[in-house]
Parts: sequence; structure tokens; C-alpha cells
Amino acid sequence: MSTQVRIPLSYRIPWKKIVLYVLAVGFALYLVLPFYWIVAMSFMHEVDAISVPPHWVPVHPTLENYLGFVRPNAAQELVGGRAVSETPYSLRNSLVVATATAVLNLALATFAAYSFSRLKFRGSQVLLVLYLLTRMVPGIAIIIPFYLLMRSFGLLDTYLALILSYTTFALPITIWILKDFFRSVPRELEEAARVDRCGWFRTMWTVFLPVAAPGLVAAAVFAFMTAWNEFMFALFLTSTKAAKTIPVVAANFATDFNTQFTVMAAAGVLAVVPPLVLALLFQRKLVQGMAAGSVKG
Amino acid sequence: MVAFAERRPLGDNAKAWALNAPAIVVIALLVAYPIGYSFYVSLQKNNLKRPRAKRFIGFDNYKALLSDQAFLSALKVSALFVLVVLGLTVVLALILALVLNERFRGRGLLLSLALLPWAMPGVVNGLMWRTIFDAKTGALNGLLQQLGLIDSYHAWLTSGTGAFLFTALAQVWNTLPFSVIILLAGLSTIPSELYDAATVDRAGAWRRFTEVTVPWLLHPLLIVLILETMNAFRAFDTIYVLTGGGPGDATTTIALLDVQTVLTFTDFGLGSAYAWVITAITLLISIGYIGLLYRKGNFEV
Repeated sequence: MSTQVRIPLSYRIPWKKIVLYVLAVGFALYLVLPFYWIVAMSFMHEVDAISVPPHWVPVHPTLENYLGFVRPNAAQELVGGRAVSETPYSLRNSLVVATATAVLNLALATFAAYSFSRLKFRGSQVLLVLYLLTRMVPGIAIIIPFYLLMRSFGLLDTYLALILSYTTFALPITIWILKDFFRSVPRELEEAARVDRCGWFRTMWTVFLPVAAPGLVAAAVFAFMTAWNEFMFALFLTSTKAAKTIPVVAANFATDFNTQFTVMAAAGVLAVVPPLVLALLFQRKLVQGMAAGSVKG
Repeated sequence: MVAFAERRPLGDNAKAWALNAPAIVVIALLVAYPIGYSFYVSLQKNNLKRPRAKRFIGFDNYKALLSDQAFLSALKVSALFVLVVLGLTVVLALILALVLNERFRGRGLLLSLALLPWAMPGVVNGLMWRTIFDAKTGALNGLLQQLGLIDSYHAWLTSGTGAFLFTALAQVWNTLPFSVIILLAGLSTIPSELYDAATVDRAGAWRRFTEVTVPWLLHPLLIVLILETMNAFRAFDTIYVLTGGGPGDATTTIALLDVQTVLTFTDFGLGSAYAWVITAITLLISIGYIGLLYRKGNFEV
């Protein structure tokens, strides 16, 4: 007597799709909402930014927080004036330091990584693990001697001190990313070039490196981010607008109790834009480049 | 460079070491030398404020550590912080990477959003969460109240436990992207035949996950564990801005304590001893991880 109702296949509830979209939307909100809040605040007047209940969208949008970095108005001059006036310089400093770090890293790491990917040599395993171990040394452990070293060379408060220290942070990981990517480049390419009587240098430059581009990009972005985000060394090694980087200036906003939330938010947004643009531009190459490094070891 | 183009190639050994020389010189000069010197300083009574009192005291700084309440408390905070941050990061990153590994509308957008926190310096991350957790005007209070979940505004960062948990959450948001990229990269290389085979064997989604995905992901997962353990253990910038280590010493991690000791109290000797203990612990953990990689057999260099 029982009549079984069979739901045709096409009417089945697509649970997998539903779960997927729920998770995707949840993560999207989680990732973007906090950042949205400081972006929104950065376009608000102080009064609107601290209102209860909060305005989620700027009601009287304004650019005064951003303009203040170039020409501070009286109120901004009064509260946290130093951090405000130092912000543009710190952005420039961060750009120079992070770019130089990325370039120097690539140069040094390319040679080292090439040796691991193409040559069989005694001590290669030990050397590779040693590189990784130097990365494990916490910055705080070397900051005092580093400070003294830089002081004795007269390099305090200069770009060079920061570039050198960030290079040592990023170098080990850069070598690891690159060596695996280099391994995935077919040897035949180089052999073909050699048959065509290309020298080692020309072979590298015209054949090998272009093919290894995604790995190089991933490594460069990684080094840039490391340098852009670093705080401790910048705090110790810089003291004026000649070399202070954006995290140091941003921390000044935080420790100054007079700072307006809105100006602080504007500085925060400016600090995120350059590395974010870089990451988005190279998004695909970034994942591709990391793929080699994380899987094969 | 010219040397390698010559007709008579050097042996692989010499060539390889020559190629590594620049990196080794830089690292030796800027890491090996400082770390050795730092050990030497850790054996001294060395406070910038009392330059006359500077002298060699052997392991006294280290002996002092063992009974140093501030140090022991910071060590405990750091250990807990690592556990909480690491656990949350790995679970969230794995789920997000699995989502991103599927094909769906808006995937590109979600991947872009996933890179956003990576671009944010820790200090700025701290600033951001401070405006969100703020007791009087914060977005979190506003949101929860408008949703009807709380009646009045709370001061999230005034209790020790609250401050610890919210600081950990702020840190997780910041460190998520890097783990996601590595795991996603790992997932993208799993051959689809493995899943097809599992499906033919009528393995359900969970079994496909535990028997195909997880074993294949072991290596990337270990890399994530190594890097994120180190990051969480030396966490400092987000906390510095968000709570400054307070209330009391509830969020004073070992790295934060060390920076305060050196920067505020200018006690180079004790600071160096702290740093050496941190280094020793990190090295032990990393050697453990690397050993694990070797044992798994997929650590091929």
C-alpha cells in the first residue's frame, strides 16, 4: 500500500552548492568588514565616526582626513601633529625600503636557489636546513647587536640599515620558494640554449629566468610584504622622518591618546593600499609560485 | 658570473658554493655574528642607564630568569597564544582553502579578499581592531547592539581573558592569508584522478577528505605549522598597539616583554638573555618540525 514518492534527481537539494556559497559569503564578510570599517571611518568627520549607534556609511563624506597629511588643519595640527606630518614621508620610506629589499633578495636568492635546483653538491642538505634555521631566529635575538653594529657604521636612521635587516629575514624563505620553482623548469630548455652556444649568463637571462617568472614574482612579493609590514627593527633603527617607515608612524598614532580615530583610519588605509595593489596585480602568479614551494618541499 | 661561461667548467661543488657565497656572507654577517654577540651580551650586567656597572656576570641573567615572575608569566601567555592562534588559523585557513579550490561564481573576488589582511602591517592591524573593539564607540559594540545581542556597550579589552581572546582573534585575521595561499597552492596540485578513484570506491565526502586530501596536504600543512608557530611565538606588533600587553600582564607575550626590557628599561643584558631563551625554544620547535618532515619522507632537498 505504501506509495514511495521518488524525487527525481534534478530536484535534489544541492547541499554542496549551498554550503559552498554560505561559507564563501561568510568568509568574504569576515575578511572585508573590519577593513571596510576603517575605510568608512577614514571618510567621516570625527563626530560621525564616534557616534552611538554607529553610522555604517559616511553620512557627510569628507576628504579632510587625507588632506590633513598634506596640509594639516588647526585641529589636526594640535592633536598628534607629528604623526600626521610624518605620514607622507613614511609612505615614501616604506616604498623605497620594501622595493630595494625585494630586488636585493631576488638577486641573492636566485644564485643560491639555482645551485640547489641544478647542481649536486656536498653539504646541500645541511646548507638548506641552515638557511631555514636562520629564519627561525627571532628578530629580538639579534636586534641589540644589530643596533650596535649599525651605530658603529653610522647607519642608524638610514634606508640601508632597514634594507639589510629585512633582506636577512626574507632571504631564507625566498631561497626555498625559488629552488622549488626552479626545479620545475625543464632542463631541456637550458640544454637547447647551450647547443645554440649561449653562455651561462645569457642562458639564465634569456631562457631560464623568464620561464621561472611566477616563482620570481612570488618571492619578490613575499620579500616586499615582509619589509613593508616589519615593525620591531624599524622601531629600533629609525628615529626621524628620514627613515621611519609607516608601521612606526602608525604606532605613534596609537600611543598618542589625542589622536582622532578618523585620521588614524586614513593613515591605516594608506598603509594597506600599496602592498594590496601589488598582491592583487600578481595574484595568479603568487599562488602558482607558492605551489611549487609548499608541495615538493 | 663570467667564470661559468668558460670552457672548463668548475666542479659542481665549487660552483654551488660560489653561487651561495653572497647569501652566506650576508646571513653570516647580519645574523650569525649578531646572534653570537647577543649571547656574549647576555652574560653581562649591561644596562645603558648604568654604564659604569657594566661587567661580566656569567649565567646570572639566566639564573634570574628562572625566578622572574614577569618572564614566567610571559612564557605562559606566549604558549597559550601560540596554541589558540595556531588552532584557529589552521582550521579557518583549511576551510577557506577548500572553498577556494572549488569552482563557483565569485571565486576570484574571494581570493582577492583573502589577500587583503596580508597587506596589512601588524601595527595597522592593531589600530584597526582597536577602533572595532573600542568600549565607547567601537564597531563591534554597535553591531551587536543593533542586532539585539547585547543591551549595552561592553569594554571588551578590560578583563584579562577578554583581552587575550580578542587579541588572538585580531592576530588570526592578520595571519590567515599566508596559510591560505600555501594550502590552496597545495590543494591545486592534487591530481583529480585520486578523487575520481575514491568516488568509484564510493567513498563519501568525509572519507575523500581524510584519505585523499589530508595525506596529500601533509607537507603544506607542516610548512604552515612551522611558519605560523614562529609568527605567533614572536607576536608583538598587533598586541603592542591593541593592548600594550595589558590589562596587567594578560597579553604580555615573551616578545613584547623583551622589547620593553630593552627599549624602555634599556637592560641589554637581561634582554639578551630573554632573547636567547626565545631563540632556544624556537629552534627546538623548528628542529622538531623539520624532523617530522624528514620522517614523513617527503622532505627532499
